[in-house]
Amino acid sequence: MKFSNRFWLIVAVMFVCTSVWPVLGQTDAAATTEETPEIPGSVDMSLGVKDTTYVMPENFRGKETGEGDQQWLEDVGYLMQENSDLYNVDAAAIAESANFEGEPNINWEVKKEDADGNMNTESSDNTNKATNDSNIKDPGYYQVHNGGARQVSTSGGAEGEAIGDSGSDSGSESGGAASGEETASAGNEGDASGAAGGDAQTVTAQQRIGIEVHDCTAPDMWVAFQEGAGTVNMAETEEALKAQMVGKIIENMGKPFSTDAKAFEEASYIFLEEGEDSDRDSIPWEKTARLSIAGTLFNERGAPKFESGKLSSKIDQNDYTNHVNVIGGEGKSLKGVYVRRNVPFIIAAISTDNGNKRATAGEVEVKIEDADGKVVEKEGEGYLFRVPNYPRSEYKDQPDYFFTTSAVDKDGNLTTIRMPLYVVNTQAAFEGGRNQ
Amino acid sequence: MNKRSILLFVTIIVGLSVSLFAQDGAGANKETPWLEGVTIGPHPEELSPVLPLKIYLENGEAIPATLTEDVSVTLVADTAIFDPEPPSEYNGTEIPSPKWTRNAAVSWFFIDWEKNKNVAASSSQQLAVNQMVVTPLNPTGKGAITCHIGRKMRYTSPETGKNKGTFANSSVAQDVRVLDITPPTCGLEVSVQGGRSGTFWVAENPPHKYPLPKLADVYFSGALVKEADPAEIITVQGLELGANMVVAPETAAVYVPADAVLNIKVNGEDNYKLDTAKLKYGICKIASGEPIPISPLNAAEVALAELTLPENPYLYVDATDVAGNRQVLFVPLIVK
Repeated sequence: MKFSNRFWLIVAVMFVCTSVWPVLGQTDAAATTEETPEIPGSVDMSLGVKDTTYVMPENFRGKETGEGDQQWLEDVGYLMQENSDLYNVDAAAIAESANFEGEPNINWEVKKEDADGNMNTESSDNTNKATNDSNIKDPGYYQVHNGGARQVSTSGGAEGEAIGDSGSDSGSESGGAASGEETASAGNEGDASGAAGGDAQTVTAQQRIGIEVHDCTAPDMWVAFQEGAGTVNMAETEEALKAQMVGKIIENMGKPFSTDAKAFEEASYIFLEEGEDSDRDSIPWEKTARLSIAGTLFNERGAPKFESGKLSSKIDQNDYTNHVNVIGGEGKSLKGVYVRRNVPFIIAAISTDNGNKRATAGEVEVKIEDADGKVVEKEGEGYLFRVPNYPRSEYKDQPDYFFTTSAVDKDGNLTTIRMPLYVVNTQAAFEGGRNQ
Repeated sequence: MNKRSILLFVTIIVGLSVSLFAQDGAGANKETPWLEGVTIGPHPEELSPVLPLKIYLENGEAIPATLTEDVSVTLVADTAIFDPEPPSEYNGTEIPSPKWTRNAAVSWFFIDWEKNKNVAASSSQQLAVNQMVVTPLNPTGKGAITCHIGRKMRYTSPETGKNKGTFANSSVAQDVRVLDITPPTCGLEVSVQGGRSGTFWVAENPPHKYPLPKLADVYFSGALVKEADPAEIITVQGLELGANMVVAPETAAVYVPADAVLNIKVNGEDNYKLDTAKLKYGICKIASGEPIPISPLNAAEVALAELTLPENPYLYVDATDVAGNRQVLFVPLIVK
């Protein structure tokens, strides 16, 4: 035999082999279908984040490592992906000679842990897609769950039946469970029901990921200044004013309870909060805050007003905490607070945080201090200044006073206010439009 | 054969193989669009036990293969995920020092495979964590109740000796059909020369009422119903949805001239599947609660002058769904 003939003989044998082996394989597979193959009730599933750019390290903000939870930032969208043998082209990985009937059913669910440790559904989306954008808006511990299901049969598959025309009573048929026993049985440990030939059986898969969603929003803060003179019905104590504010700040989700200047005749307010709903979902490095000042104490003339403006928030590039810092003074949107000489006043500050969806509010410490940081003490239940210091040019010998307060949440997001406090001479400031 | 020929042959074989593989890959994408963008494999890289799960009725009996629409069943999930301790072994691999670290999270769904849509089950009742009330609201010939349970656990990694977190998972499905017990909700649209028309239609109210009977409201509008205000919608409330829905003439009727030629169109509606072969409509009289047709069955055009009308003629629609639920609606036809 010539070399070329031998070569073509080898090629021919190779083609025969490659043609026959798959056929033999199919024959073997076909032979096994005569035995009822076992279809498992469920199979396993993988689940993860596709783009991990903004997934924080496992020890982020002091979290214990080894828990396997992902560390996410609030308001950042993460593309999730999952996979399972249920999503293959063929069902060979589910059971020998099994077939899929139709497309898989895929559901994405987000559950949030409550204070009692119960996992409550936040969202449930039947997308029938193995990728999904998850954007969680509030801090807390969550689980993203993917549940998949697909109909699997051992041969042929059952067509959908018209229902109700069989006259069957409940429980009289085995239905799609196809096991002969009507209780659904599952797991991958061999008690699989095993679809009868042609009957499609639903096979499931699921996986979850634990996610710690971190707070990147500075707390909301309300500060109230209430004088105890004139026609104003001063709160009996500072506690009473705080209690009133707690109710209002929760009721209004941190937003100002009114934008009408007339609503602030009894007390003047500073509202510092995340702003409109659209602003509240900003990504952490584009967070802003809205400063609103309302009442008569924020200008030297004592004119009532309500003004709002947007402030930028400063993010810490390491731990992604935000700091909203309001500094008042000349040339600033908040010049300062103007109180009257010889008129006692109280200050109360309340803060609420998005960590628990602003469901609770807490008291915040306020201080009046001089330029050296020396704290001005209260007289009785309130503050009282007997000597004016405004205009500063006329009272250079009097100290500068500053009002300061700060609120911090458990993650370290911070809201701070520091502004001048001016003591004006009573009659002129509020009636004459100029100081005596 | 020279070396060049052998090289050419090998090149062709390799080229064919590559192109076949490429076709396989493209085919897989086309055949599995739900996997678009997925870059992970089908199995978890880390240990994540899948535990058996059984679901059954609260009395311990099997879930019937056929459920009835609008009828609730209380189900129980039974899995080792609710045990005090997680498994210490999975698929032959030891799981050292296993501890649960979170409560179990449980999700129940009803999948309608005919539409490939699911509905998450939720209950306002106080139930044990492993229980759920499932009320199938829509009939289907191919459905499934699924239960998915996961629970966070911690174990000591044999490789590092450090704690490691993972999830134990359980899920299962019970294939069921859902029996249709709601009759069709069909109506008619009637028009005459000159463009005047009258329409009546039916809506189940309250929806998903159980126990039977189902109730429905019948709505009327159009110039043939109320010439003075054709846009007004007249509602006849609380008829029993079924085979004897007779609208009293004092509540609503369709008024037509004696010489009118009626154009009749049926609005066939059912919450599952209408048996169109059994659909009948036209003009009738009632005898023993049954419609006796006066006009040709399902005629699109009916000339009243050609009919011998009884004393109390009715427009009627007689509809049956594939489950055998029947609706017969009689609406008074007043010939002026």
